[in-house]
Amino acid sequence: MNQWLDERLHISRLNDKFLRKAFPVHHSFFLGEITLFSLIVLIITGILLALAYEPSNSLVVNSFDPGTPDKQNLIPAAYHSALKINAMPFGDMLRRVHHWMANIMVAAAVVHMMRIYFTGAFKKPREINWWIGMLLLIFAALTAVTGYILPYDNYAFQTVGVVYAIVKSVPWVGDWLAQAAFAGQFPGAGIIPRIYGYHIMLLPGILLALTGAHMLIMIKQKHTQPQYAKRLAYKKIVGVPLMTQQTPIMLILALLFTGLVMLFAAYIPVHPIEVFGPPSSTPIPNIKPDWYLLWVFGALAIIPGFELELLGGSINAEFIGAMVFPGIVIGLMFAVPMLDRAKDNQYYAENPTNHPVRLAAGTAFMAFMLMLSLAGYKPDLIQAGLLTTANSNAILWILVIVVPVVIYFVTIGIVRMIRALREADERDSLAHAHADD
Amino acid sequence: MTRYKKQDPEITRRKFINAAMGTSAGVGVLSLVSALGSAKPVFRLTADVAPPMKGDVLVHAEGPNQGQVVKASELSDKLVRAYPKGRDSKGTEVIRDKDPTNILAVYKFAPGTLKEPTKLDATIDAQIVAYGDRCTHAGCNVGDDPKTSGHMFCPCHSGQYDATQGCRVLGGPPPAPLPQLPIKQEGDQLVVTGFFLSRPYGFNKEEDWEEYIKKVEEAMA
Repeated sequence: MNQWLDERLHISRLNDKFLRKAFPVHHSFFLGEITLFSLIVLIITGILLALAYEPSNSLVVNSFDPGTPDKQNLIPAAYHSALKINAMPFGDMLRRVHHWMANIMVAAAVVHMMRIYFTGAFKKPREINWWIGMLLLIFAALTAVTGYILPYDNYAFQTVGVVYAIVKSVPWVGDWLAQAAFAGQFPGAGIIPRIYGYHIMLLPGILLALTGAHMLIMIKQKHTQPQYAKRLAYKKIVGVPLMTQQTPIMLILALLFTGLVMLFAAYIPVHPIEVFGPPSSTPIPNIKPDWYLLWVFGALAIIPGFELELLGGSINAEFIGAMVFPGIVIGLMFAVPMLDRAKDNQYYAENPTNHPVRLAAGTAFMAFMLMLSLAGYKPDLIQAGLLTTANSNAILWILVIVVPVVIYFVTIGIVRMIRALREADERDSLAHAHADD
Repeated sequence: MTRYKKQDPEITRRKFINAAMGTSAGVGVLSLVSALGSAKPVFRLTADVAPPMKGDVLVHAEGPNQGQVVKASELSDKLVRAYPKGRDSKGTEVIRDKDPTNILAVYKFAPGTLKEPTKLDATIDAQIVAYGDRCTHAGCNVGDDPKTSGHMFCPCHSGQYDATQGCRVLGGPPPAPLPQLPIKQEGDQLVVTGFFLSRPYGFNKEEDWEEYIKKVEEAMA
């Protein structure tokens, strides 16, 4: 059969080109794979969920609590089908696995990017893949946001209200944009079918296409080699081939990882739609976006309200906080490969301590994002009495600016210490080497 | 060595292909944009999305009494959410609950509690007052501040309002106070006497809101 296939599909060429691809042997190279496995599980669980989900916000009678004939209990069909999914055998479990996988996919992608950043793997010739990776991160976040609107409980309703407000805040075109994106004025009659289209077709399509491009470019350019490869065989590709060596490792990792997520999905419930209830005008205390968007939420909470007119458009705090500011942050991340002006191709993963400024800038950036996320808890901090309305903005602004600066210099200091120790070690071993002669 | 370069009088193949590709790309993008235009549905002003206006009666928006008339006697300094109930063109009663901007917060404060900048002549005996209940920042529903009675707290980005003083902004990002709705008492029910006195959420400028009021008056006349 191999020969039959080979004569038609040139499997042997595929084998030489792709299946023999060498994978570096280092655990940090599995982070990207975990992201990929989460995407696969997300697609599988997503298909199963889509089979039982009804994408419509028209009102139907709640079959679990129909009310009385003269006063029927009407709820949106999407919310009703989500209740039905929960009632299905393993339906709630399916939702949990889908939810946790989405969170883990973003988390794994972020850690994967940290690995790329701190080891300098974004340098020439891999800039394009850094940019595609950034797009993947952005679209993954968008997919997740559209995903948690779909159950159309009150939480989703309040969330999509804020998302609508953010789109609407774009000067000049915001109103048109928001209505085009969300099928009319909030909450339009077609809002759920529209978001369903985004979540199950448009965005996953974009994600899959970008993932394909990401991996093809990675195969073409090869992984950056870990440092041991430099000592082992300079300028040669070192690693285990995909077919027969890496494949079982990947399979074991995929199964182990999925099993672990299933295990904790079995114990940690997600987003109890029954508790939030159908869309209503009751505000939800402690409403927050998922952790990876908490920094935008924090920025929105601490940017004081203002509005200014400019050529007939109005620019307000929301536009600055939720569009311009994240645009600058994401733009900075996009610009990372352009900060490196080296003409040569980069083959080996770098030791982060050899690049203290990059390392310190990275940790400071992470501290900045963490502090902004903390600012996202401003309503809770005020309600808990830790901060007051009067001082909350000042304190949070100071934290957002001062903590990253402190972290920057602390990192530089630690790196200096590590390097001093390393140099002392080298001197030491050199001295001993002489003594042995 | 020739002194003359060969001059091709005709358009080159490359030029032609480039021009053709450019044109078709342009036409393609244009047609895509025109197709995208259909993504934004037409807005029709119907009675159930019209803003609260003169003659509307306030009904409970939530809870066991949902849909029933809000009685002046059951109000307190705790927020009661209400929708306006009016009539459509055929004269049948309709609750205007399809536009979230129509949600109202109704309070009754002890005499002397309500102060300027509340429009006192738009309240009932300077005790009962109604505001639009969508935060002017991002349109979340605003609830009671659990710590101070008479204050409102938005759970989304911690916008705070003082309901006893015209819902002026006490803290957080909201750019404007919540809009006050003029009401009067008829028997035990609350009746709206006009449009919101300032712009509700969703209108960036006062002029936009006034323009919208005019449109509503024409369409609903």
